[in-house]
Order: sequence, then C-alpha cells, then structure tokens
Amino acid sequence: MLVILAAFAVAGLLLVVLGRRLGPAAFLVAAIVPAISVVWTCAQLGAVSNGEVLSEHTSWVGGLGLSLDFRLDAMAATMTLIVSGIGVLTLVYASRYFTADTPDLGRLAGLLVLFAGAMVGVVQADHLLVLYTCWEITSVTSYLLIGNRYTDANARAAALQALLITGAGGLAMLGGFVLLGHSAGTYRLSELAAKVPTSGPTITIALVLVLLGAFTKSAQYPFHAWLPAAMAAPTPVSAYLHSAAMVKAGVYLVARLSPIFAGAAVWRPSVLAVGIVTMVVGGLRALRQQDLKLLLAFGTVSQLGFMMVLFGAGTPAMTTAGWILLVAHAMFKAALFMVVGILDRATGTRDLRYLPALDRRWRWVEVATVISVASMAGLPLALGFIAKEATYEALIDRPFAGSAFVAAVVVSGSMLTVAYAIRFWWGAFVAPRRRVKTHLTAVATPAPGLLFVGPALCLAAASIVLGVALALADRLGTAAVRSLDPSAAPVHLALWHGLSAPLALSAITVAGGLILAITDRSIQRVLLVGSTLPKGEAVYLSLLRAVGATSRRVTGIVQNGSLPIYSGVILATAAILPTATMLQKWHWPGWPSIGALDDAPIAAALVVSALGAASIRRRFSAALFLGATGYAMAGLFVVYGAPDLALTQVTVETLSTVVFVLVLRRLPDRFERQSSLQRRAVRLGIAGIVGVSVFVFAIVAAASRTATPVSEEMISRSVPDGHGRNVVNVILVDFRGLDTLGEITVLAAASIGAVALARVGHRAAAERGERDAPRPAVDHTASSSHTVVPRIVFVDVSVQVIFHVVLMASLWLLFAGHNQPGGGFVGGLLAGSAFALRYIAGGMAEVRRHARFRPWTVLGAGLLLAAAMAAFPIVRGGAVLDVASKSVTLPAFGTIAMSTAIVFDIGVYLTVVGVVLMAFEAFGDEREEVRA
Amino acid sequence: MTVLLAATAAALFAIGTYLVLQRKLSRIIIGIGLMTHGANVLLITSGRRGDAPIIGESNSLSDPLPQALALTAIVITFAVTTLLLALAYRSWLLTHDDEVEDDVGDRAVARGLPLAEDEENTLTTSSTSRDSAP
Amino acid sequence: MSWLVPVPIVLPLVGAALSILAGRSRVAQRVISLVILTTVVAASVALIIVVDRDGTIVSNAGGWAAPLGISLVADRFAAVMLLVASAMLLVVLIYAIGEPGAERNHVGFQSVYLVLAAGVNASFLTGDLFNLFVAFEMMLTASYVLLTLGGGREQVRAGMTYVVISLLASTLFVTTLALLYSATGTVNMADLAVRIADLPPGVRSAFAVLLLVVFGIKAALFPLFFWLPDSYPTAPSPITAVFAGLLTKVGIYAIIRTQTLFFPVDSRPATLLLIIAGATMIFGVLGAIAQNDVKRILSFTIVSQIGYMVMGLGFFTVAGVAAAVFSMIHHIVVKTTLFLSGGLIERAGGSSRLTRVGAMMRDAPVLAVLFLLPALSLAGIPPFSGFISKFALVDAGFASREYAIVAVGLVVSLLTLLSMIRIWAGVFWNPAEEPQDPVASAPAATGRLGGPVFMVVPTAFLVACSIAIAVAAGPIYAFSERTAADLLDPRAYIQAVNAR
Repeated sequence: MLVILAAFAVAGLLLVVLGRRLGPAAFLVAAIVPAISVVWTCAQLGAVSNGEVLSEHTSWVGGLGLSLDFRLDAMAATMTLIVSGIGVLTLVYASRYFTADTPDLGRLAGLLVLFAGAMVGVVQADHLLVLYTCWEITSVTSYLLIGNRYTDANARAAALQALLITGAGGLAMLGGFVLLGHSAGTYRLSELAAKVPTSGPTITIALVLVLLGAFTKSAQYPFHAWLPAAMAAPTPVSAYLHSAAMVKAGVYLVARLSPIFAGAAVWRPSVLAVGIVTMVVGGLRALRQQDLKLLLAFGTVSQLGFMMVLFGAGTPAMTTAGWILLVAHAMFKAALFMVVGILDRATGTRDLRYLPALDRRWRWVEVATVISVASMAGLPLALGFIAKEATYEALIDRPFAGSAFVAAVVVSGSMLTVAYAIRFWWGAFVAPRRRVKTHLTAVATPAPGLLFVGPALCLAAASIVLGVALALADRLGTAAVRSLDPSAAPVHLALWHGLSAPLALSAITVAGGLILAITDRSIQRVLLVGSTLPKGEAVYLSLLRAVGATSRRVTGIVQNGSLPIYSGVILATAAILPTATMLQKWHWPGWPSIGALDDAPIAAALVVSALGAASIRRRFSAALFLGATGYAMAGLFVVYGAPDLALTQVTVETLSTVVFVLVLRRLPDRFERQSSLQRRAVRLGIAGIVGVSVFVFAIVAAASRTATPVSEEMISRSVPDGHGRNVVNVILVDFRGLDTLGEITVLAAASIGAVALARVGHRAAAERGERDAPRPAVDHTASSSHTVVPRIVFVDVSVQVIFHVVLMASLWLLFAGHNQPGGGFVGGLLAGSAFALRYIAGGMAEVRRHARFRPWTVLGAGLLLAAAMAAFPIVRGGAVLDVASKSVTLPAFGTIAMSTAIVFDIGVYLTVVGVVLMAFEAFGDEREEVRA
Repeated sequence: MTVLLAATAAALFAIGTYLVLQRKLSRIIIGIGLMTHGANVLLITSGRRGDAPIIGESNSLSDPLPQALALTAIVITFAVTTLLLALAYRSWLLTHDDEVEDDVGDRAVARGLPLAEDEENTLTTSSTSRDSAP
Repeated sequence: MSWLVPVPIVLPLVGAALSILAGRSRVAQRVISLVILTTVVAASVALIIVVDRDGTIVSNAGGWAAPLGISLVADRFAAVMLLVASAMLLVVLIYAIGEPGAERNHVGFQSVYLVLAAGVNASFLTGDLFNLFVAFEMMLTASYVLLTLGGGREQVRAGMTYVVISLLASTLFVTTLALLYSATGTVNMADLAVRIADLPPGVRSAFAVLLLVVFGIKAALFPLFFWLPDSYPTAPSPITAVFAGLLTKVGIYAIIRTQTLFFPVDSRPATLLLIIAGATMIFGVLGAIAQNDVKRILSFTIVSQIGYMVMGLGFFTVAGVAAAVFSMIHHIVVKTTLFLSGGLIERAGGSSRLTRVGAMMRDAPVLAVLFLLPALSLAGIPPFSGFISKFALVDAGFASREYAIVAVGLVVSLLTLLSMIRIWAGVFWNPAEEPQDPVASAPAATGRLGGPVFMVVPTAFLVACSIAIAVAAGPIYAFSERTAADLLDPRAYIQAVNAR
C-alpha cells in the first residue's frame, strides 16, 4: 500500500514539475497511477470480502509513536475503489474538459494525482496521525486546486475559505486525536476499539474536537459554506474533490468511530442533530439555485448530512444503508457534475434559465443524466433506491431513542432531494425544449465526444448495474459493515423488500418530491424568506474580519515603533520581574557596612557628574560630564586596588571623549526643549524602579556569598604557572585569554563598521539630494575651522618629541605589563593617543604621515597575530591559547619571563593601534566629509 | 559591597535609565555610558577590596578576576559605543539630526492600513452572488 | 578529540584577520570565507558524531582546568546547534556571493561575516558565563555592522534601535554577571551550577528570572521583542536570513542552557515561562497578520515561533525540552529558507510589499515551490518538519496536562498558516495593486529559475534539507530526546567540566 501511495506522490510531483508541455494529455498520463490502484484493490477484493485485513507497518518517529500504519479492510477497499475509480474517470473526463490552450494543465493534473494519493492515504490509514497527515494534505491540495484560476478573485477567496475552515477543523481534530491517543495508549485505529475508554470528560472533549474536524471537512452545517464557494474550481475538480472524494473524508471518519463511540453520551446526539439540520438546509437551498453546479453543490451538502445521520447512529442496519448511499452518491453525483461540465463547455452557461435546447445527438448525455437523477431521487432499479429502502428499513424498527423523529426528517429531506433532482433534469433538458417550442430558437450545439461523455455514462451504468445485480455489492457491503463493527450481524441488501413499510415511505417520498417540484413557484416564494436567515458564510466572514482588525489594533498598540518606549518596557521588565520574584521568598540579609570614608568624595563626584550629564542642555558639555564620570570611575578603581583598570578607564575615557567630540562638533550643540511633564514623570518612575532594584540586588547578592572566589587560586598560580606577577594581566592574556581574543575581535569589527558607515559619503549625498534635506553648508565652515590649524614651530617640535616619547612609553607598558600595571591593551591605547596628539596638531594628513601602514593592515596584522597565537597550540595538539614560555633578558626591560603570551599581547597592542587609526579614519577626515 | 557604593551604582543606573528613555541618540549614548559605569561599580565591588593584585608587593591583594572582567567589559562597551556614534554621525548626514525616528511600518499598521488583498470584500461579493434570486 | 572543540571559534577569527589583510581582493576574501566555513562544518559534523558516541567533550582554553580558565564544552545540545548553525552560515554565504551587490562594502562584509560565525559558534560552545557575554558581543557587533553596511536611511534608523536595545541587554548581562560573581565568586558555568544551589531560594529564583530577561531580549520574548520586527527587515536578505535563523536561537539556547543547568527544579520559573510563551506566540502571530510586507510578516513569525520553543522548555520534561530542541533545529533551517526565498521574491518582484508584487505564479513558478514548502512547514502542516515539532509540543503539553497553552499553540498555528497564505496569495496569485515605487529597484531580470543560480540553488538546497528533517525525523527526534535528558540532568555536564 505504501508503495502505491509513494507512486501517487512521485507521479504527482513529476507532473507538477514536468507536465507543462503535455497539455490535456497530462490528465491521461495522470490516470495511470489511480488505475493501478483500482486494479490492485480489485485483486484484493476476494480476500477482503471474506473479512481478511491486509496491514502494513513502517516506523517514522519512534519517540513520538508516529508510524506509517496502513490497512485494507472491506470499508477501506470500498473507499479506495471509489476514490481511485472515480479519480480515473474524472481524469479521463478532464482530458477533454480542458482545451489545449489552458495554461499549466500539468500542474493541475499533478495536484489532482497528489490529492488522490492523499485521499487513498486517508482511507487506508490505520494510525490517527497518519490519517491527520493525509487529511491535511487533501486540504492543501484542495486549496491549490480551487485557487488554480488565481486571476479570479472569487476563486482565491473560496480557496482561502475552504483552507481556513477545514484547517481549523483539522487542528481541533489533531487535538482530539492526541487526547484519544493519550487516553487509549495507542494511535492505531484498529486497536482503539479495544483500548479506549468510551466515557469520561477527556473522551467527551476529544470526541467533540474530532467531530469538529469531521463536520468541517464534510461541509456540515454551520461549516458548509465553503463547499458551494468551492464551486469556483474547474468542474472536474468539483466533481472529484467536492462531491465524490474529499468531502467523504469526514463521513468516513465518523463511520470508523461510530461503532466505538456510539455509546458515548455526546456522540449520537451531536452527529444526528448536525446531520439532520445539514440534510434539510442543504436540500432547501438546493431548491433555490438557478446555477446547476450550485444546485448540485447544495445537494451534496444535503446528502453528506444524510450520510452523517446514517453512519453516526452506529447501528449495523443504518451503517449498511450508509454504505450503499456512500457508493451510490459517489456515482450519481460525480456523473451529474460531469454532465454540468459538458453543458457548460458546450453551451457556455450553467444557468437553467438560459440553457439552450439540445438535439438528439445529445441523447447519451441525457441518458446519463436521467439515470443519475433517478438514482439521486431514489427511484426503483437505481442504487439510490436501495439506499433509501435500507434506510427506512433500518429506521422502522426504532433502533435508538428518537429514531422516529429522525425517520420523519429523513423522509422530508429525501422529498427535497427528489424535488431538486427533478428540478435539475427538468431545468437542464425539458424546460429548454419547451422554450424552443415557444420562441423557436433552436441552437445546434455540437455534441460532446466519446471520452467526454464516456465517464458519466460509465457511472450511470454502474448505478443501474449495481442497483439491479445487488449480489455484486452485497458481499463487499456486508464485509464493510462488519469491518467497521465486528459485532454486527450481516444485514443483506435487497432490491425488493416486498410490500412493506419502507416501500410505502419511498412512495410517499417520491410523491412529496413531485408535489414540491410542481409547486415550484410558491415554494420559491416561501424559501425567499428563509434565505434572509443568517448563514454560515456570514459567520466566517465576520470572524476573518475580526482577526484582521484585532491583529491591526493590537499590533498598532504593542508595536508602536518608538525606541524610548521599547527601552522603557525592557528596563521596567528587567527591574520588576526579578525583584518581584525575590520578594516572594523574601529574607533580608541585614545591612552591610555603610562604606569607607575615602569612597565618599569619589561617590559624590560620580553622582554629581552623572547628574550634570543628565541635566545639561548642551551636547558638548554633556559629553564632557560623561568623561568626568569616567575619570571618577578611574579614581574609584584606584582606591579599590585596580591600577590596570584605572589606567584603561582613563585611556578609554579620553579616547571616547575625543571621538564623541569629533562627532558632536557636527551635531547641533543644544538639545531642544524637554518633552511633556508626564513623559518625564514616566521616565523618572522607571528610573526609580531600576535604581531601587539594582540597590536591593547588589546588597542581597553580596550578602549571600558563601564560597571562596576562584580568583584565590589564580593569585596563587599566577607566578609559578602564569609567569607574571601582575595577576590581572596574567588573567587577561593567559587564564582568560579567550575573552581578550574576543574583545579585540569586537574592537576590530566595530571599527570596520564605523569606517564603513562614515565612508558612504557619496550615497549619502545622493540620498540627501532626493530627500532635499538642508545641506550641511553651515558646518563645513564649522569643521574646516578644525582643519586649518595655524602651524607654530614650537608646537610642532614639542608634538614630535611627545609623540615619540609616548610611543616608547606605550611599548614599555606592553612589555612590562605582565609584571607591572600595563599590558598590550593599555599600551595600544597610549600609542593611539599619541596619534590623537598628532591629529590635534595637524589633522588627518599628519596622522597619515606618521602611521606608516594603512589602518586596515595594522588591524589585520594584530588580529592575525593574536588569533594565530590562539590557534597554533591546537595544531600542536594542545588546547587553544596554550602558553609556552621561557624567561629571557631584554635590554631596558630587565629579565622577564618571555612567554608566548607576550606575543599574544603584541597582537592585542597592534589591533588596538589599528582600531584607533580606524577611528580617525572614520571620524577625523574632513575632506572625506566635505566630499559627502 | 557597601551601602555607599551600592547606592552609587543604583544612582548611576537610575540616571542612565532616565537618559536612555529619550529620543536624542547622543543622550541615549550618554545614558548607556552611565549605566555601564554603574555595572562596572557592581563588578569591581563584587570582589574583595585590597592592594593592587601584583604578587610580592602586598599580601592583602584585591580580587583580580572582577578587574579583568571589568576591563574587558569596558573595552567592549567602548567599541560598541564608537559604532553607535558612527551611526549618530551617519544619521546626521542623512537627516541633520540624531533623533531616533519611529518605525515607518509600525506607524502604518497603527494607522490601520488595509490588508494586502481585502479577502473579505471579494468573499462577500462571491457569497452574495451565490444565492441568485428566482 | 578535544582539540576539535575550539576550532569552530578560532578558525573563523584567523579567517577574519586574513580577510582584513586580503583587503580589496574580493576573490581572495571569498575563497577564505568558503574554505574556513566549509572546514567548520566538517569539524562540527565530526564533533556531533563523537559527542553522541562518547558523551560530552571539554577543552580548557590555555590548558587551565575549570574553574580557573575558560572551558569550552561540546555536549549534544551545543554540538547539534553548532552543526545546524554552521551549515546555515555556509549556505547563506554562498547565497550572498551569488546575489549581486549583497556584499556591499566588501572589505567589511566577508571579515565581519566570519566574526559573526565565530561569535555564534563561541556562544554555543563556551562553558563560561562571562565568555558567553564576550561571544554575544562578537556576534552582536558583527550583526550591527552587517545590518548597517550601506548605511541607507532605513538601515540607520533600524540600526539605532537594534544597537541601543542590544547595548541595554549587554549592560544588563554585565550587571547580572557582577551580581552572580558577588554572590558565588565564579563565572564558570559548571561551577555556578554547583554554587547557585547553596544560595537562599529567593535569590536563586530571582537570578533565574533575571537571566531569563537578559537572554529574553536577544531571544525576542514578549514583552522584549519589539525591536526585532523593526530592525531585521531592513538588512539585505542574506543578512536577515542569518539573523532570523541564528541570533534569536542563540538567545533561546542560552535560556535553555542556563535555566536547566543552573537552577534546581524548585527555582525554575516554569509558570512564568509558559505565560511568556503564550503571549509571545499570540502577539507575534497577530503582528504577522497585521503586516503587509513579506519580510515583516516573516520577522513577526520568528517571534511567534520562539514562543513554541519557550513553551517546550516551560514543561521542563524530557518530552517538552526534546520538542523544544527539535523545533529549534527545524526552525533554524526553515526560517532561513523562508528569508532566502523572500529575498528571491523581492529581487524578482522589485519589492517585498504584498501590494506591489503580484501574480508571480506565472513568471516564477520555481520560487512558488521554494516558498510554499517551507511556508507550509512553518505553519506545521504535515508531513513537513514543522508538523513533527508542533505535534511533539502538543504531545508533551498534554502529557504534562498544560491544556491551555497547547490550545493557544494550536490556534496560533492556524493563524500562522493564515499569515503564510497571505504571503502566498499576495505574491503568487493576486495581481499587484500599487505601481512600483520609483525609488525601489525595478524587478530584476529573472531566468527560468526565477533568480541567479547561486541564489536559487542554496535556497533549493535548504528546502531539501527541511524536507530531509521531516523524513529523518525519527533519528533526529531520538537525538533531541537524548539531548533533553542530558539537559535536565546536568550532572554529566558538571562532571565532564570538572574532570580535568
């Protein structure tokens, strides 16, 4: 079975991809695989009819209990025959329906085959989730098929509606399946009956969910709206998906589960209620249609309701009736759709008010129609009649509570069926001739070819043959019923039940139908009132609109695109959530010491300068205040015993202030007026919360320290194993060298980005041109004042001297860093500030002259050195950044333990120098900006 | 950790937050700078206080690890801040301001622009055309 | 094999340096990047095989045993993420090379891209919380640069939002580190796992939530995700694809890692996680439906998908975490694919606005397939990988009786389908409504494939991958289960780190 399914998939995909140039012939090619499936199934019929079951098992996701289980019993075989057989006929039919000039027939054919495969999968699946899988595939293929004529807005809308409704049902069903699976401990349909409990809240919920899936798929009221809409699809698609195959899936599922769950409180009432309503509503609305296709569509809805009733009851007799109706309906409805398609193609209309009269060459079409209509109306000799008889037979002897009522509704529903059946035949063939008689406009419409009519005729023939020669169907039918419900006693079908109640009911039905048909006009008037009642599609539409509106409203509020609000929310969350959590299991560790006295001035300096930065109105001074805060930090580091940190802080602060100023000198100096008072209040509020929570966290965290910090061991091992007395530096280049590597990478990347941003001058000019923003004429002059520095010899000389001194100092810091405060990073920054000096003295040109290499090169070289030092040990089979070392004596530096760590540090040094040069490249260059 | 320093850190964070919640990028940058300082205060005070962690010069050394971490953190923040400044500069080149504008797309949604294709409308037409009057 | 562990970090760095030196020779840079990233993929394949066979591998940087040095730890979780991520990085690189003009300012692009790779890999491999911070910074700084390369107006604006928010996140991270160190005196993860257990319960839970928030910003959880849909769509499509596929997942990775490793059961914020998960899913998908632009819709669905992963974690059962891991694998691939095909659409249609492009079914049927399959997978339609992850989550949810969140998840997946279908209908079926705006690039000439070969082929390859995930779901899910088991019982991890 898996093989055949695979064949379907492969053939479908191939056709979708390669079928383009085949034209209509693609459909004939497509028919091959379904044909194979038919043949194969027929080969199994003998065995299957004797109640044997073929099954296959392939595991998929063991951990989730997902496995590809398939089985073929009589019921599955029946469905497979219907799906594949009608598939073949439809495809043959389609090869004539579509003219060669229709685009992408290959895709259409391929999708049809894919669908057929999925549908066969649904009916053969023995695993709830495999069933779900195929189920969803049919939904998707149906979506693509309905929307195939995507230039037509109605088609698109209908496709979407079908997908959403069946999709929603599908998800509910998935939930139901998982619940069933959990409570039964298996997903195998065949094991379900034995293992699942048939009562309890979980089961009830599960069943409701599953039924939702079945109802949506089989277009039950109030979910039926998508099916008539789906008639926007090409007729072959409608004939196949929306009458014979896909819409039967829900019925099939109900048929499978009924015998198991008919006992459950929720099952029978809900299924019967929904089925009955659907049957009547569908019938009534079918009576109002002028478009033959829509008439059939609503007819389908009604018949599906009928089947729901039959299978939902779960009694063997009813199930038997259901089985016959299933087969019969597949045949006559598909045939009728085909006829409509033929008429449509030949005459260009489907409206029974405008159809032209058709001459004798059309008799075969009419024959097919009459037979199918008869079967639909349940007239004797046709298969439909037997279905109806069996139904009445089953309902006569009150199998369950309320079955009398059900019987009544079924009879009236069937009357409607008879009525619209007649309406179809009359409207399609009889009425036109009469119109011709009156105004003598005979249109000689060319009759359809053999392959076009053939499929419909075959189906019609089948309706009769099976109707007369029941024996053929009998064995399979009985077996099918037993495969659904092993406990069922075989109910045999009969063409002639004798002069019994059922026959009487049938007679009544036909009579009533006739009356309805004759009194059409008055009926229409009555129905007009009914059409004002709310319909399923209205609900769907309002839902869709609601979703759209809600999403826009919510998103408009939440996603308001304003950075301050985002930051505010984030900071507030970060402050409130953790603190609140802490308060839940609150215990206050008690206050720590107030603090050393000599911290006080530093703390004061910090806070004051911070406040200054916050309150000052001028960008420039604000930046300087920030710098001040930085220097205060350095002070704190000093008193806390962190010279390296202090050194770094000072250099970094200097550099960033310089950069800041370089940028700020281009921005307007003053901030404009403060924003509204209440905004400020909100800001203050969040600021307060953040401050408080930081305070609390700091105290509590510090108080809950019990373990000794890992750094103790670092201190003890710094000299013996790290070959450095400055523990911080040893940590930076050795213990945690990886951090430093990452750190300089960040520096490099950032500087590249800065240069890239600052150097897209031309594009900027272009964009300014388009957006005609005011040209920065003002501040060219402003900035050029920086460039034209009066050259004073004394300054030049002193700069020369200082420059080289500083460079030397930076080198000293680099090499001594391992034992004294310093290190590659600080050294690099110092060298950088040497160039800063150059810059202040003579602008970019000056820097360029004294930095002999391109910044890029310096940067790359430094990074490469560091990274290589990190990578090299790996090649030697050691760990990354493994440090080898020996002590050497250098002039001017004395004896130092020369470890490869120092090379790494040189890399750091170079990178930092490169970064600083890049920074000047980015922000320092006037000419660059003038060009911009 | 002492109350004084905890309070200092808290103050830095609070002031920083206040600045970050504004629209001018240069203010935001300053705010973030202050918050980073606050974080560094917490970092440095998370270790023992003492003399410079250089072996042989004292025996009550301060905890070196937080210092190393703080150093890395400082440098990284410096790098990213530089990049942010470059953005400010760029934004000035483009808009002559360093104001952070609101997102255009979001504003559009907030104003409630229609869906790409109004599925609803086409559907209503198709569904009304379904029940053709007799 | 422990020498393998640092390779994915150090090699790209060497490559980045070389690529900077290679300067203006575009060819040389491309060769460097391709060679390096291919090697990294090979290395991670080797790693995952070895790790799955012999268990966690630890390599101590500088040969310093934990907690002194920085230990790089390759366990199952790290290994699988590493593999998927590096594969994506390679494929997207090819796509970027194939896309004319994607490597704007090429001196920057290649080197920074390698830095990004190094950062991502480091975040997966590192066993040291502060080093994780550094890794994040490498990744983020690179992403800032890549996002703003070219410096267009929108990019700069988005760049500001993105950089500022990330800087805030980083500051919070440093603060958290400071607090953690002052409470425990270590930053080594395994060591932290041991020492956090001794903290008072209140502090413990507080730290759990704090870390959740810190990483939640990067992972784009509600209410911390707003920056994402504003910034991602403005980058060139290959960049956005990498961001979408990887960056948020790194955040999720960090969340899962820290929550499971550091915190004993009693201090895990399970309920909070589930609430956040629900909110993230709902707001994300609503945003997606409200949008009108392919890239924006996709960006919002990133958010809602993140919700699913958090939900899986929130159960804190093997089934749940396994589902989360599986959906991470699935989502990285599928989301990257979607953005790549989104880029192709934008190229072929001249815009990514649903109203500007239309009826592309006729001209670009290949693109239609390349979009539809991953889109269905994202919406959790069987038989694609998305369905497996969805079902795994639903299954886990019912197993731990969290019906409400499961219901939310199912509804959201329907809405996700709706949003995907809106793209499909808007791009491939509906006629274009507005005329092209003159500023945007006119539709580029597309061949039979619907785009340049080196853009289409990588995309197609990824589509194939996502289908392969579905086919091979059995073993992959089994692996995820093993991973989940490791994560929920971190003793092995801690032992491995403290072994040497």
